[in-house]
Amino acid sequence: MAQLIAFNYFYRDSVIHSLDVRIKFVTMILFSAAIGRITSPNQFIGVSLILLAAMVLSRLPFAELFRQMRYFGLLILGIIVIHSFSVSGTKIAPIPGLTVEGFVLGLFFSWRLFLVIIICVIFTGTTALKQLRKGIEWFLHPIPFLPASRIATMINLVFVLIPMLFDQASEILDAQKARCIEVNRNPIRRIKYLTVPLLLQTFKRADELIMAMESRCYTEERTRPVFNIKMKDWIFLSLSVSIMAVVFF
Amino acid sequence: MIILQAEKLTHKFPDGTVAIKDIDLAISEGEFIVIAGSNGSGKTVFARHLNGLLKPTSGKILFFGEALAKNIINARKQIGLIFQNSDSQIVGQTVAEDVAFGPENLKTSASQVAKIVAEALEAVDLSQYAKQNPQLLSGGQKRKLAVAGVLAMKPKVIVFDEPFTGLDYPGVRQVLKQLVELHKSGHTIVLITHELEKTLAHADRLVVMDKGRIVLDGLPEEQIYKVAQYGIRLPEIGERGVGAMTWLS
Repeated sequence: MAQLIAFNYFYRDSVIHSLDVRIKFVTMILFSAAIGRITSPNQFIGVSLILLAAMVLSRLPFAELFRQMRYFGLLILGIIVIHSFSVSGTKIAPIPGLTVEGFVLGLFFSWRLFLVIIICVIFTGTTALKQLRKGIEWFLHPIPFLPASRIATMINLVFVLIPMLFDQASEILDAQKARCIEVNRNPIRRIKYLTVPLLLQTFKRADELIMAMESRCYTEERTRPVFNIKMKDWIFLSLSVSIMAVVFF
Repeated sequence: MIILQAEKLTHKFPDGTVAIKDIDLAISEGEFIVIAGSNGSGKTVFARHLNGLLKPTSGKILFFGEALAKNIINARKQIGLIFQNSDSQIVGQTVAEDVAFGPENLKTSASQVAKIVAEALEAVDLSQYAKQNPQLLSGGQKRKLAVAGVLAMKPKVIVFDEPFTGLDYPGVRQVLKQLVELHKSGHTIVLITHELEKTLAHADRLVVMDKGRIVLDGLPEEQIYKVAQYGIRLPEIGERGVGAMTWLS
Protein backbone atom coordinates (compact mmCIF):
# COMPACT_ATOMS: atom_id res chain seq x y z
CA MET A 1 0.00 0.00 0.00
CA ALA A 2 0.92 3.65 -0.01
CA GLN A 3 2.90 3.69 -3.22
CA LEU A 4 2.77 6.30 -5.91
CA ILE A 5 0.36 5.16 -8.57
CA ALA A 6 -0.15 6.42 -12.13
CA PHE A 7 -3.41 8.30 -12.68
CA ASN A 8 -3.39 9.28 -9.01
CA TYR A 9 -2.99 12.75 -7.55
CA PHE A 10 0.54 13.56 -6.47
CA TYR A 11 1.15 16.79 -4.61
CA ARG A 12 3.90 19.09 -5.87
CA ASP A 13 4.28 22.84 -5.57
CA SER A 14 3.99 23.51 -9.33
CA VAL A 15 2.27 25.94 -11.70
CA ILE A 16 0.16 23.17 -13.24
CA HIS A 17 -1.01 22.01 -9.80
CA SER A 18 -2.14 25.51 -8.88
CA LEU A 19 -4.18 26.15 -12.06
CA ASP A 20 -7.97 26.47 -11.88
CA VAL A 21 -9.51 23.06 -12.51
CA ARG A 22 -11.91 24.44 -15.15
CA ILE A 23 -8.99 25.79 -17.16
CA LYS A 24 -7.26 22.41 -16.87
CA PHE A 25 -10.42 20.66 -18.06
CA VAL A 26 -10.82 22.91 -21.10
CA THR A 27 -7.11 22.61 -21.95
CA MET A 28 -7.25 18.83 -21.64
CA ILE A 29 -10.21 18.65 -24.01
CA LEU A 30 -8.56 21.07 -26.48
CA PHE A 31 -5.31 19.13 -26.49
CA SER A 32 -7.06 15.77 -26.83
CA ALA A 33 -9.09 17.11 -29.79
CA ALA A 34 -5.95 18.52 -31.39
CA ILE A 35 -4.14 15.19 -30.98
CA GLY A 36 -7.01 13.56 -32.85
CA ARG A 37 -6.53 15.94 -35.78
CA ILE A 38 -2.77 16.18 -36.21
CA THR A 39 -1.32 14.19 -39.09
CA SER A 40 2.16 15.43 -40.03
CA PRO A 41 5.34 14.46 -38.14
CA ASN A 42 6.04 18.15 -37.46
CA GLN A 43 2.70 18.55 -35.73
CA PHE A 44 3.34 15.41 -33.68
CA ILE A 45 6.74 16.74 -32.64
CA GLY A 46 5.26 20.17 -31.81
CA VAL A 47 2.49 18.80 -29.57
CA SER A 48 4.94 16.34 -27.98
CA LEU A 49 7.29 19.20 -27.10
CA ILE A 50 4.43 21.18 -25.54
CA LEU A 51 3.44 18.18 -23.46
CA LEU A 52 7.07 17.63 -22.50
CA ALA A 53 7.14 21.22 -21.22
CA ALA A 54 3.91 20.57 -19.28
CA MET A 55 5.50 17.43 -17.80
CA VAL A 56 8.52 19.39 -16.63
CA LEU A 57 6.34 22.21 -15.25
CA SER A 58 4.12 19.73 -13.37
CA ARG A 59 7.18 18.36 -11.49
CA LEU A 60 5.57 14.92 -11.37
CA PRO A 61 8.01 11.98 -10.90
CA PHE A 62 7.72 10.78 -14.50
CA ALA A 63 10.54 8.24 -14.30
CA GLU A 64 8.58 6.33 -11.65
CA LEU A 65 5.26 6.89 -13.44
CA PHE A 66 6.65 5.51 -16.73
CA ARG A 67 8.06 2.52 -14.86
CA GLN A 68 4.60 1.79 -13.48
CA MET A 69 2.97 2.24 -16.88
CA ARG A 70 5.46 0.04 -18.71
CA TYR A 71 2.73 -2.46 -19.61
CA PHE A 72 1.17 0.19 -21.87
CA GLY A 73 4.29 -0.40 -23.98
CA LEU A 74 2.93 -3.85 -24.84
CA LEU A 75 -0.35 -2.32 -25.96
CA ILE A 76 1.47 0.22 -28.10
CA LEU A 77 3.69 -2.48 -29.61
CA GLY A 78 0.58 -4.57 -30.32
CA ILE A 79 -1.07 -1.65 -32.14
CA ILE A 80 2.02 -1.10 -34.33
CA VAL A 81 2.25 -4.79 -35.18
CA ILE A 82 -1.46 -5.12 -36.03
CA HIS A 83 -1.40 -2.01 -38.24
CA SER A 84 1.85 -3.09 -39.92
CA PHE A 85 0.31 -6.35 -41.06
CA SER A 86 -3.28 -5.34 -41.70
CA VAL A 87 -2.86 -2.24 -43.89
CA SER A 88 -2.05 -2.82 -47.56
CA GLY A 89 0.74 -0.88 -49.26
CA THR A 90 4.44 -1.10 -50.11
CA LYS A 91 5.78 -4.42 -48.90
CA ILE A 92 8.90 -4.61 -46.72
CA ALA A 93 11.00 -7.37 -48.28
CA PRO A 94 11.84 -10.28 -45.93
CA ILE A 95 8.68 -10.32 -43.78
CA PRO A 96 5.50 -11.33 -45.64
CA GLY A 97 2.50 -9.04 -45.06
CA LEU A 98 4.47 -6.19 -43.46
CA THR A 99 3.91 -2.80 -45.18
CA VAL A 100 5.54 0.62 -44.86
CA GLU A 101 2.15 2.41 -44.81
CA GLY A 102 0.85 0.06 -42.09
CA PHE A 103 3.94 0.56 -39.97
CA VAL A 104 3.74 4.39 -40.28
CA LEU A 105 0.00 4.38 -39.54
CA GLY A 106 0.54 2.17 -36.48
CA LEU A 107 3.37 4.38 -35.31
CA PHE A 108 1.27 7.55 -35.52
CA PHE A 109 -1.74 5.86 -33.92
CA SER A 110 0.43 4.69 -31.01
CA TRP A 111 2.04 8.10 -30.69
CA ARG A 112 -1.44 9.62 -30.46
CA LEU A 113 -2.45 7.14 -27.78
CA PHE A 114 0.75 7.80 -25.86
CA LEU A 115 0.14 11.58 -25.95
CA VAL A 116 -3.45 11.15 -24.70
CA ILE A 117 -2.15 8.95 -21.86
CA ILE A 118 0.39 11.66 -20.95
CA ILE A 119 -2.38 14.28 -20.87
CA CYS A 120 -4.39 12.05 -18.53
CA VAL A 121 -1.38 11.43 -16.28
CA ILE A 122 -0.65 15.17 -16.05
CA PHE A 123 -4.30 16.00 -15.42
CA THR A 124 -4.91 13.35 -12.77
CA GLY A 125 -1.48 13.80 -11.20
CA THR A 126 -1.93 17.54 -10.73
CA THR A 127 -5.64 17.72 -9.92
CA ALA A 128 -6.84 16.76 -6.47
CA LEU A 129 -10.09 14.88 -6.35
CA LYS A 130 -11.88 17.72 -4.63
CA GLN A 131 -10.87 20.09 -7.43
CA LEU A 132 -11.95 17.55 -10.03
CA ARG A 133 -15.30 17.16 -8.34
CA LYS A 134 -15.72 20.93 -8.17
CA GLY A 135 -14.95 21.25 -11.87
CA ILE A 136 -17.34 18.50 -12.94
CA GLU A 137 -20.09 19.98 -10.81
CA TRP A 138 -19.49 23.44 -12.26
CA PHE A 139 -19.67 22.19 -15.85
CA LEU A 140 -22.73 19.99 -15.30
CA HIS A 141 -24.73 22.27 -13.03
CA PRO A 142 -26.31 24.43 -15.79
CA ILE A 143 -27.65 21.34 -17.59
CA PRO A 144 -31.27 20.79 -16.47
CA PHE A 145 -32.43 17.42 -15.08
CA LEU A 146 -28.84 16.23 -14.71
CA PRO A 147 -27.81 15.19 -11.16
CA ALA A 148 -24.50 17.08 -11.31
CA SER A 149 -23.56 16.36 -7.69
CA ARG A 150 -24.26 12.62 -8.04
CA ILE A 151 -22.26 12.35 -11.27
CA ALA A 152 -19.39 14.27 -9.70
CA THR A 153 -19.42 11.93 -6.68
CA MET A 154 -19.45 8.85 -8.92
CA ILE A 155 -16.46 10.09 -10.91
CA ASN A 156 -14.80 11.05 -7.63
CA LEU A 157 -15.25 7.51 -6.30
CA VAL A 158 -13.95 5.96 -9.50
CA PHE A 159 -10.74 7.90 -9.00
CA VAL A 160 -10.59 6.75 -5.36
CA LEU A 161 -11.19 3.12 -6.27
CA ILE A 162 -8.85 2.82 -9.27
CA PRO A 163 -5.63 3.23 -7.22
CA MET A 164 -7.13 0.87 -4.63
CA LEU A 165 -7.68 -1.71 -7.39
CA PHE A 166 -4.11 -1.38 -8.67
CA ASP A 167 -2.82 -1.64 -5.12
CA GLN A 168 -4.94 -4.66 -4.38
CA ALA A 169 -3.98 -6.40 -7.64
CA SER A 170 -0.31 -5.77 -6.95
CA GLU A 171 -0.62 -7.24 -3.44
CA ILE A 172 -2.47 -10.32 -4.71
CA LEU A 173 0.11 -10.86 -7.46
CA ASP A 174 2.99 -10.56 -5.00
CA ALA A 175 1.30 -13.02 -2.62
CA GLN A 176 0.84 -15.47 -5.49
CA LYS A 177 4.43 -15.01 -6.69
CA ALA A 178 5.54 -15.86 -3.15
CA ARG A 179 3.73 -19.18 -3.68
CA CYS A 180 5.38 -19.82 -7.08
CA ILE A 181 2.49 -18.86 -9.38
CA GLU A 182 5.07 -18.43 -12.17
CA VAL A 183 5.36 -22.22 -12.38
CA ASN A 184 1.75 -22.32 -13.56
CA ARG A 185 1.92 -21.50 -17.29
CA ASN A 186 -1.82 -21.62 -17.94
CA PRO A 187 -2.83 -17.95 -18.48
CA ILE A 188 -6.54 -18.65 -17.91
CA ARG A 189 -5.89 -20.19 -14.51
CA ARG A 190 -3.59 -17.32 -13.62
CA ILE A 191 -6.24 -14.77 -14.60
CA LYS A 192 -8.78 -16.69 -12.53
CA TYR A 193 -6.47 -16.69 -9.52
CA LEU A 194 -6.08 -12.93 -9.84
CA THR A 195 -9.60 -11.80 -10.72
CA VAL A 196 -11.64 -13.81 -8.20
CA PRO A 197 -9.87 -12.53 -5.06
CA LEU A 198 -9.52 -9.09 -6.63
CA LEU A 199 -13.26 -8.81 -7.24
CA LEU A 200 -14.12 -10.12 -3.79
CA GLN A 201 -11.78 -7.69 -2.07
CA THR A 202 -12.90 -4.80 -4.26
CA PHE A 203 -16.55 -5.36 -3.34
CA LYS A 204 -15.57 -5.61 0.33
CA ARG A 205 -13.60 -2.38 0.19
CA ALA A 206 -16.32 -0.60 -1.75
CA ASP A 207 -18.76 -1.68 0.93
CA GLU A 208 -16.46 -0.36 3.66
CA LEU A 209 -16.04 2.91 1.77
CA ILE A 210 -19.81 3.35 1.57
CA MET A 211 -20.08 2.68 5.32
CA ALA A 212 -17.35 5.24 6.02
CA MET A 213 -19.08 7.84 3.82
CA GLU A 214 -22.43 7.17 5.49
CA SER A 215 -20.90 7.52 8.95
CA ARG A 216 -19.70 10.99 7.93
CA CYS A 217 -23.18 12.10 6.86
CA TYR A 218 -22.74 11.76 3.09
CA THR A 219 -25.33 13.68 1.11
CA GLU A 220 -25.59 15.06 -2.43
CA GLU A 221 -26.39 18.54 -1.13
CA ARG A 222 -22.91 19.55 -0.07
CA THR A 223 -20.96 22.78 0.33
CA ARG A 224 -21.01 24.59 -3.05
CA PRO A 225 -17.64 24.91 -4.79
CA VAL A 226 -15.85 28.24 -4.65
CA PHE A 227 -13.40 29.21 -7.43
CA ASN A 228 -10.65 31.77 -7.45
CA ILE A 229 -9.47 32.29 -11.01
CA LYS A 230 -6.17 34.17 -11.36
CA MET A 231 -4.22 35.90 -14.12
CA LYS A 232 -1.96 32.87 -14.64
CA ASP A 233 -5.09 30.78 -15.40
CA TRP A 234 -6.13 33.19 -18.16
CA ILE A 235 -2.57 33.23 -19.55
CA PHE A 236 -2.50 29.42 -19.58
CA LEU A 237 -5.88 29.25 -21.31
CA SER A 238 -4.89 31.87 -23.92
CA LEU A 239 -1.71 29.95 -24.68
CA SER A 240 -3.57 26.67 -25.05
CA VAL A 241 -6.24 28.20 -27.32
CA SER A 242 -3.54 29.85 -29.48
CA ILE A 243 -1.65 26.57 -29.87
CA MET A 244 -4.83 24.73 -30.77
CA ALA A 245 -5.77 27.44 -33.29
CA VAL A 246 -2.45 26.83 -35.04
CA VAL A 247 -3.11 23.09 -35.15
CA PHE A 248 -6.70 23.41 -36.38
CA PHE A 249 -6.30 26.20 -38.91
CA MET B 1 -25.67 12.06 32.55
CA ILE B 2 -26.33 9.18 30.14
CA ILE B 3 -25.25 10.19 26.64
CA LEU B 4 -25.67 6.92 24.76
CA GLN B 5 -27.78 3.95 25.66
CA ALA B 6 -28.53 0.60 24.07
CA GLU B 7 -31.85 -0.97 25.03
CA LYS B 8 -32.40 -4.66 24.29
CA LEU B 9 -30.40 -4.20 21.11
CA THR B 10 -30.47 -7.25 18.83
CA HIS B 11 -29.06 -7.62 15.33
CA LYS B 12 -29.68 -10.63 13.13
CA PHE B 13 -28.08 -11.05 9.71
CA PRO B 14 -30.27 -12.14 6.78
CA ASP B 15 -28.81 -15.69 7.01
CA GLY B 16 -30.15 -15.95 10.57
CA THR B 17 -26.84 -15.43 12.39
CA VAL B 18 -27.38 -13.47 15.58
CA ALA B 19 -24.57 -10.91 15.79
CA ILE B 20 -25.69 -9.24 19.02
CA LYS B 21 -28.54 -10.12 21.35
CA ASP B 22 -30.37 -8.11 24.01
CA ILE B 23 -27.56 -5.65 24.62
CA ASP B 24 -28.32 -3.23 27.45
CA LEU B 25 -25.62 -0.66 27.99
CA ALA B 26 -25.66 2.94 29.23
CA ILE B 27 -22.64 5.16 28.57
CA SER B 28 -22.22 8.33 30.64
CA GLU B 29 -20.99 11.64 29.25
CA GLY B 30 -17.20 11.93 29.47
CA GLU B 31 -16.72 8.23 30.17
CA PHE B 32 -13.82 6.21 28.73
CA ILE B 33 -15.19 2.74 28.14
CA VAL B 34 -13.31 -0.25 26.76
CA ILE B 35 -15.38 -2.91 25.03
CA ALA B 36 -13.41 -6.12 24.67
CA GLY B 37 -14.23 -9.48 23.21
CA SER B 38 -12.78 -12.24 21.08
CA ASN B 39 -13.24 -12.30 17.28
CA GLY B 40 -16.87 -12.72 16.30
CA SER B 41 -18.19 -11.57 19.68
CA GLY B 42 -20.24 -8.79 18.02
CA LYS B 43 -18.10 -5.76 18.94
CA THR B 44 -17.93 -4.25 15.46
CA VAL B 45 -21.64 -4.79 14.79
CA PHE B 46 -22.39 -3.04 18.08
CA ALA B 47 -20.05 -0.15 17.16
CA ARG B 48 -21.86 0.33 13.85
CA HIS B 49 -25.18 0.51 15.68
CA LEU B 50 -23.82 3.29 17.88
CA ASN B 51 -23.32 5.45 14.76
CA GLY B 52 -26.63 4.44 13.19
CA LEU B 53 -24.96 2.58 10.31
CA LEU B 54 -26.93 -0.58 11.00
CA LYS B 55 -30.60 -0.85 11.81
CA PRO B 56 -31.39 -3.07 14.80
CA THR B 57 -33.56 -6.13 14.31
CA SER B 58 -35.11 -5.23 17.64
CA GLY B 59 -34.33 -2.81 20.46
CA LYS B 60 -32.93 0.67 20.04
CA ILE B 61 -30.12 3.10 20.65
CA LEU B 62 -30.87 6.30 22.54
CA PHE B 63 -28.76 9.44 22.25
CA PHE B 64 -29.43 11.85 25.13
CA GLY B 65 -32.63 9.89 25.74
CA GLU B 66 -33.96 10.29 22.17
CA ALA B 67 -34.11 7.42 19.68
CA LEU B 68 -30.99 7.72 17.52
CA ALA B 69 -32.94 6.71 14.40
CA LYS B 70 -35.14 9.84 14.71
CA ASN B 71 -32.35 12.19 13.66
CA ILE B 72 -29.72 10.04 12.07
CA ILE B 73 -27.69 12.92 10.57
CA ASN B 74 -27.36 14.59 13.98
CA ALA B 75 -26.41 11.25 15.52
CA ARG B 76 -23.68 10.66 12.94
CA LYS B 77 -22.39 14.18 13.50
CA GLN B 78 -22.31 13.78 17.29
CA ILE B 79 -21.08 10.18 17.40
CA GLY B 80 -17.92 9.76 15.37
CA LEU B 81 -16.81 6.30 14.31
CA ILE B 82 -13.21 5.38 13.51
CA PHE B 83 -13.18 2.19 11.45
CA GLN B 84 -10.80 -0.69 11.91
CA ASN B 85 -9.38 -0.30 8.40
CA SER B 86 -8.44 3.35 7.99
CA ASP B 87 -7.51 2.81 4.33
CA SER B 88 -11.09 2.20 3.34
CA GLN B 89 -12.20 5.24 5.34
CA ILE B 90 -10.19 7.62 3.17
CA VAL B 91 -12.33 9.40 0.56
CA GLY B 92 -10.10 12.33 -0.31
CA GLN B 93 -7.00 12.55 -2.44
CA THR B 94 -5.33 14.99 -0.09
CA VAL B 95 -5.27 14.92 3.68
CA ALA B 96 -7.15 18.25 3.93
CA GLU B 97 -9.72 17.13 1.36
CA ASP B 98 -10.44 14.01 3.33
CA VAL B 99 -10.97 15.93 6.56
CA ALA B 100 -13.26 18.37 4.73
CA PHE B 101 -15.57 15.56 3.58
CA GLY B 102 -17.73 15.57 6.74
CA PRO B 103 -18.20 19.35 7.15
CA GLU B 104 -18.98 19.67 3.43
CA ASN B 105 -21.71 17.06 3.80
CA LEU B 106 -23.16 19.26 6.53
CA LYS B 107 -23.17 22.16 4.03
CA THR B 108 -20.80 24.24 6.12
CA SER B 109 -19.61 27.36 4.26
CA ALA B 110 -16.34 26.99 2.33
CA SER B 111 -14.46 29.47 4.54
CA GLN B 112 -15.70 27.72 7.69
CA VAL B 113 -14.69 24.32 6.25
CA ALA B 114 -11.14 25.58 5.71
CA LYS B 115 -11.02 26.76 9.34
CA ILE B 116 -12.42 23.50 10.72
CA VAL B 117 -10.00 21.42 8.62
CA ALA B 118 -7.02 23.46 9.85
CA GLU B 119 -8.15 23.02 13.48
CA ALA B 120 -8.76 19.28 13.12
CA LEU B 121 -5.37 18.71 11.48
CA GLU B 122 -3.70 20.81 14.15
CA ALA B 123 -5.40 18.73 16.86
CA VAL B 124 -3.91 15.50 15.51
CA ASP B 125 -0.59 17.09 14.53
CA LEU B 126 -0.97 16.47 10.79
CA SER B 127 -1.01 20.10 9.57
CA GLN B 128 2.25 19.68 7.65
CA TYR B 129 0.69 16.89 5.57
CA ALA B 130 -2.45 18.84 4.55
CA LYS B 131 -1.68 18.73 0.82
CA GLN B 132 -0.24 15.22 0.73
CA ASN B 133 -1.83 12.10 -0.67
CA PRO B 134 -3.25 10.29 2.39
CA GLN B 135 -2.25 6.91 0.97
CA LEU B 136 1.37 7.94 1.49
CA LEU B 137 0.94 8.38 5.25
CA SER B 138 2.12 5.76 7.73
CA GLY B 139 -0.37 3.46 9.46
CA GLY B 140 -0.41 5.57 12.63
CA GLN B 141 -0.83 8.79 10.64
CA LYS B 142 -3.73 7.28 8.69
CA ARG B 143 -5.53 6.52 11.96
CA LYS B 144 -4.84 10.10 13.07
CA LEU B 145 -6.30 11.30 9.78
CA ALA B 146 -9.42 9.24 10.45
CA VAL B 147 -9.60 10.91 13.89
CA ALA B 148 -9.23 14.36 12.26
CA GLY B 149 -12.03 13.50 9.83
CA VAL B 150 -14.28 12.69 12.77
CA LEU B 151 -13.13 15.68 14.86
CA ALA B 152 -14.10 17.99 12.00
CA MET B 153 -17.72 17.01 12.68
CA LYS B 154 -17.36 18.25 16.30
CA PRO B 155 -18.60 15.00 17.90
CA LYS B 156 -19.35 14.42 21.57
CA VAL B 157 -18.70 10.68 21.43
CA ILE B 158 -15.93 8.94 19.48
CA VAL B 159 -16.09 5.20 18.89
CA PHE B 160 -12.77 3.56 17.99
CA ASP B 161 -13.13 0.13 16.40
CA GLU B 162 -9.88 -1.82 16.91
CA PRO B 163 -7.68 1.23 16.31
CA PHE B 164 -4.39 -0.59 16.94
CA THR B 165 -4.78 -3.31 14.30
CA GLY B 166 -1.69 -3.51 12.09
CA LEU B 167 0.20 -0.72 13.85
CA ASP B 168 3.77 -0.89 15.07
CA TYR B 169 4.82 0.25 18.54
CA PRO B 170 5.23 3.97 17.66
CA GLY B 171 1.95 3.84 15.73
CA VAL B 172 0.09 2.37 18.72
CA ARG B 173 1.58 5.02 21.00
CA GLN B 174 0.59 7.81 18.57
CA VAL B 175 -3.01 6.64 18.43
CA LEU B 176 -3.23 5.91 22.15
CA LYS B 177 -1.86 9.35 23.03
CA GLN B 178 -4.45 10.88 20.73
CA LEU B 179 -7.18 8.85 22.34
CA VAL B 180 -6.20 9.91 25.86
CA GLU B 181 -5.97 13.57 24.80
CA LEU B 182 -9.45 13.40 23.26
CA HIS B 183 -10.80 12.02 26.51
CA LYS B 184 -9.07 14.77 28.50
CA SER B 185 -10.61 17.38 26.20
CA GLY B 186 -14.08 16.17 27.23
CA HIS B 187 -15.00 13.59 24.59
CA THR B 188 -16.76 10.40 25.56
CA ILE B 189 -14.59 7.53 24.31
CA VAL B 190 -15.78 4.07 23.38
CA LEU B 191 -12.77 1.92 22.57
CA ILE B 192 -13.29 -1.49 21.02
CA THR B 193 -10.25 -3.66 21.44
CA HIS B 194 -9.03 -6.95 22.86
CA GLU B 195 -5.54 -5.60 23.55
CA LEU B 196 -6.18 -4.63 27.16
CA GLU B 197 -2.54 -4.36 28.18
CA LYS B 198 -2.18 -1.32 25.89
CA THR B 199 -5.11 0.73 27.11
CA LEU B 200 -6.89 -0.41 30.23
CA ALA B 201 -5.05 2.01 32.55
CA HIS B 202 -6.95 4.88 30.91
CA ALA B 203 -10.40 3.31 31.04
CA ASP B 204 -13.15 4.08 33.54
CA ARG B 205 -15.03 0.93 32.70
CA LEU B 206 -14.51 -2.45 31.06
CA VAL B 207 -17.25 -4.22 29.14
CA VAL B 208 -16.69 -7.71 27.74
CA MET B 209 -18.79 -9.21 24.95
CA ASP B 210 -19.08 -12.87 24.13
CA LYS B 211 -21.28 -14.52 21.51
CA GLY B 212 -23.17 -11.27 20.95
CA ARG B 213 -23.97 -10.60 24.60
CA ILE B 214 -22.48 -8.47 27.35
CA VAL B 215 -20.98 -10.86 29.87
CA LEU B 216 -18.92 -8.51 32.04
CA ASP B 217 -19.43 -4.84 32.87
CA GLY B 218 -17.76 -2.87 35.63
CA LEU B 219 -14.58 -1.28 36.91
CA PRO B 220 -11.48 -2.52 35.06
CA GLU B 221 -9.69 -3.58 38.26
CA GLU B 222 -12.68 -5.74 39.24
CA GLN B 223 -13.39 -7.30 35.85
CA ILE B 224 -9.89 -7.89 34.54
CA TYR B 225 -9.37 -11.24 36.32
CA LYS B 226 -12.43 -12.73 34.63
CA VAL B 227 -11.59 -11.91 31.00
CA ALA B 228 -9.58 -15.04 30.16
CA GLN B 229 -12.67 -17.27 30.18
CA TYR B 230 -14.06 -15.21 27.29
CA GLY B 231 -11.09 -15.67 24.96
CA ILE B 232 -9.24 -12.48 25.90
CA ARG B 233 -5.62 -12.69 26.98
CA LEU B 234 -5.24 -11.80 30.65
CA PRO B 235 -2.36 -9.30 30.73
CA GLU B 236 0.36 -9.67 33.33
CA ILE B 237 -0.80 -7.78 36.38
CA GLY B 238 2.11 -6.46 38.40
CA GLU B 239 2.18 -4.53 41.65
CA ARG B 240 0.67 -1.47 39.98
CA GLY B 241 -2.31 -3.51 38.81
CA VAL B 242 -4.50 -2.14 36.01
CA GLY B 243 -2.72 1.23 36.31
CA ALA B 244 0.29 -0.31 34.56
CA MET B 245 -1.71 -1.42 31.53
CA THR B 246 -0.73 1.23 29.06
CA TRP B 247 1.83 1.63 26.34
CA LEU B 248 2.24 5.29 27.17
CA SER B 249 4.30 4.86 30.31
